[in-house]
Amino acid sequence: MVAEPARDGSVQELENKQEWWWVAEKKRSKRLDYLRKAVWKKGALGGNYAPGIKLDLECATLFTDMWNFWKYDPIMMRRAKAIAHVLDNKTIFITDHAQLVGYFGSLPHTIMWRVDGASMVNEEAYNEPGIMPEPEQESLEKVAKLNDYWAGQTAVDKVARILDPEDAVKFLSGAIGWGAPSSAYGYSGKDYEYLFAGKRGFEDIIEDIEAAIEKAEEKTVGVPGPEILDIYDRLQNWDAMILVLEAAMRHAKRYARLARTMAENFETDDKRKEELLRLARTCEQVPAKSPRNLQESFQYDHFVQMFARVEAHEGAWPARPDYYHGPYYDKDVNIDKTLTKEEALDLVGEFMIRAYEVGGFAPRWAREGLQGITGTWVWTLGGVNKDGTDACNDLTIAFLQAARLVRVSNPTFGFRWHPKVKDEVMRECFECIRHGLGYPSMRNDPLLVQNAMHWHGHPLEEARTWVHQACMSPCPTTKNGVQPMRMASATANCAKMVEYALHNGYDHVVGMQMGPQTGEASSFTDFEQLFQAWTTQMQWLTNLLVRTVNLGRYKDPEFFGRPFLSGISQRSVESGLDVVSPVGDRGNCWITAFTWVENIDSLAAVKKLVFDEKKYTMEQLITALKANWDGYEQMRLDFVNNAPKWGNDDDYVDDIMIRCLQATARHSHVMKCPSGNNWPILPENVSGNIHYASIVGALPNGRRCGDALYDGGISPGPGLDKKGPTAVLASCGKIDHIADGRAFLLNQRLSPTQLAGEKGYQLWKAYIRTWADLGLDHVQFNMVSDETLRAAQKDPEKYSEVIVRVAGYSAHFVDISRKTQDNIIQRTVQGI
Amino acid sequence: MSTCAECKSFFVREEEPGQGDCVRRVVDPRQAYYQSKPVREDSSSSGCESFQKK
Repeated sequence: MVAEPARDGSVQELENKQEWWWVAEKKRSKRLDYLRKAVWKKGALGGNYAPGIKLDLECATLFTDMWNFWKYDPIMMRRAKAIAHVLDNKTIFITDHAQLVGYFGSLPHTIMWRVDGASMVNEEAYNEPGIMPEPEQESLEKVAKLNDYWAGQTAVDKVARILDPEDAVKFLSGAIGWGAPSSAYGYSGKDYEYLFAGKRGFEDIIEDIEAAIEKAEEKTVGVPGPEILDIYDRLQNWDAMILVLEAAMRHAKRYARLARTMAENFETDDKRKEELLRLARTCEQVPAKSPRNLQESFQYDHFVQMFARVEAHEGAWPARPDYYHGPYYDKDVNIDKTLTKEEALDLVGEFMIRAYEVGGFAPRWAREGLQGITGTWVWTLGGVNKDGTDACNDLTIAFLQAARLVRVSNPTFGFRWHPKVKDEVMRECFECIRHGLGYPSMRNDPLLVQNAMHWHGHPLEEARTWVHQACMSPCPTTKNGVQPMRMASATANCAKMVEYALHNGYDHVVGMQMGPQTGEASSFTDFEQLFQAWTTQMQWLTNLLVRTVNLGRYKDPEFFGRPFLSGISQRSVESGLDVVSPVGDRGNCWITAFTWVENIDSLAAVKKLVFDEKKYTMEQLITALKANWDGYEQMRLDFVNNAPKWGNDDDYVDDIMIRCLQATARHSHVMKCPSGNNWPILPENVSGNIHYASIVGALPNGRRCGDALYDGGISPGPGLDKKGPTAVLASCGKIDHIADGRAFLLNQRLSPTQLAGEKGYQLWKAYIRTWADLGLDHVQFNMVSDETLRAAQKDPEKYSEVIVRVAGYSAHFVDISRKTQDNIIQRTVQGI
Repeated sequence: MSTCAECKSFFVREEEPGQGDCVRRVVDPRQAYYQSKPVREDSSSSGCESFQKK
């Protein structure tokens, strides 16, 4: 029986009860407490927006007005002018107690609407209940008018028109993958080496651009020839970059002006007045000039992220805050002593809160796939410097401490573990996990640096700058390594590979021929025939998704345009090309492989029970699957209980995993991105295992259509890993985490009781050592008891701050659907 | 007809003649904040529910 939450108890009592959410509330400063509770949570609850969240019509209207006005401009300039109009005219606000500012919507409770992204999303916005600002009828009319204007003109509409019709229909069926082949909906890496390591403010960048223009113009007045013709386009792109960077600086100065107005006209508290004046000075400094202290450094970074989000719907937030802001922390706290550690912790906590409040309107499939959050803000901590030395610093520790105080589900952290990480940092990581945050995920840095070099040819020094591009995939933050566009449409629902292999490419759920006809499986006489069919389906499915993404990427500069992102990227500043253009981009593509392990357990079950033991015929199996196992329960249980399952250190099934991965890896070297680089897979799930539950048909692992799929990556099926954590690690260790794929997500649940106290830390540390020795690249932990989670299901209001790791992200437990909650509870609690 | 310039919420931009900011305090169910929106000093304030004569 779980005791009632005792928020009135002492910190010690609350810690003893492991009620970490109340501990946080008691320990954090009044400022952080206010700011944390002030956030309007934008992550959808299950799939629906919380009461009070409203669609932002102001920005969509401002953008459309100016877009329409400049209809004869080239696309980069047209977008730059529309963005500038938004930045100059949107409503801005400064929350009480805030020391950092900037939100891409107009008001704290609004969700940004990417009106130029996709007509089908716009239609969803119109029909989404509860999100229209009052008066509702007036808002609906505005939205309808905007939708009419954009119908057929959005970035995705334009791509869809030129896709192969068959590809388009299959892609849009929703069965084999998700996403949108446009940078309107995707995410971008930021060239942090250029901005932060290079200490460049926007005024410096404009100087760089003007120098490039001058050089280019010399050519346009020189000897005529074909080589100068594309310079004219580049000159217009450069002008667009300058225009939008200038607008961004004006926007920051609006905040400075507001802060001064508040200080001089409204604020009566001297301390707050001084804070507001400091905030004004901060916004006068950045982004125009490079930062001078920690507050300015955070503010600069946050502005950059907000401006990028005014330009496009960014579903991830690649960042490495301890590395790029660490020198300012060191200067302010340790050298100049202008900030105390406590004051710095307030800034760090607020920096996380500013990111937590960010949210844009997303279509339902995305909300169901990312329940509880608005995107995967996985910030990277730790790792190494370019010379291979330990990069952890005091700010690494401050971030890990602040996370336990603010307990946000977004951003989360991925920690780049390496053998030189100091014990004090490891303890901070463990404390976050022990406090039930589900983060940081632990990443094997030496191995992932090698992986980045193996798959995409990033040079060693650049590979060492890597950040999580979304949940999992490493990507450098350098001129040629940074990834300007990674739409999520190369996200594969991999369980369809085995499903189609068993049904001759036919999809019985959506009722159409999807994959190639690889033969009636009922006539297969040995496992090799089935495996060949699987390989063909795997190649077909990944080819289709990659074709779509490649085309979207190639056409994006023509159909969308990213003047701001280009303006902060060295490659574009020097070349004058839209940063999304593949020219000069090394390429860092990957296919997110949802629902991967179902393939392995299903193939192993067929091999064992049909071909080896001959307990059933293929015909019987196909009949049972077509019936969704209905009427075949004994047979289904046989396939669940008496077929080997991944995660038990059983070579029978583990060999099939390796075989499938190696077949896919071979194909990953065949498929090429627009830069000519490879397309490795990356098994993980977010909450796609719930989204796809009713889309994937019955499978030979005993799963019925409608049952939740496995929770993802290379995690064993919930409850199917029966031989303990070492066996799970041993199975996962058989994978070559460099050559077999880009990264491999592993969820593990640990017991908070077993891992209490110093002994718990030592056990966990030994586990991490084994994990690293076995060569795994990723592991993340849930450490919240079943009792607490069940109590939270019964009484969600009392447990509203309980956080769990879903897949590549964390969410507040009460914000995810009941099915996802149950799926997390069902995961095996490993005793280590 | 009253104009924005006559309102308590209007703050002129010294560097941009004719331009100003409408700065108002808002208390919503979760937080209190000051918001700012650009306005011209000669804009009509008729119909503005927040208008307060200086």
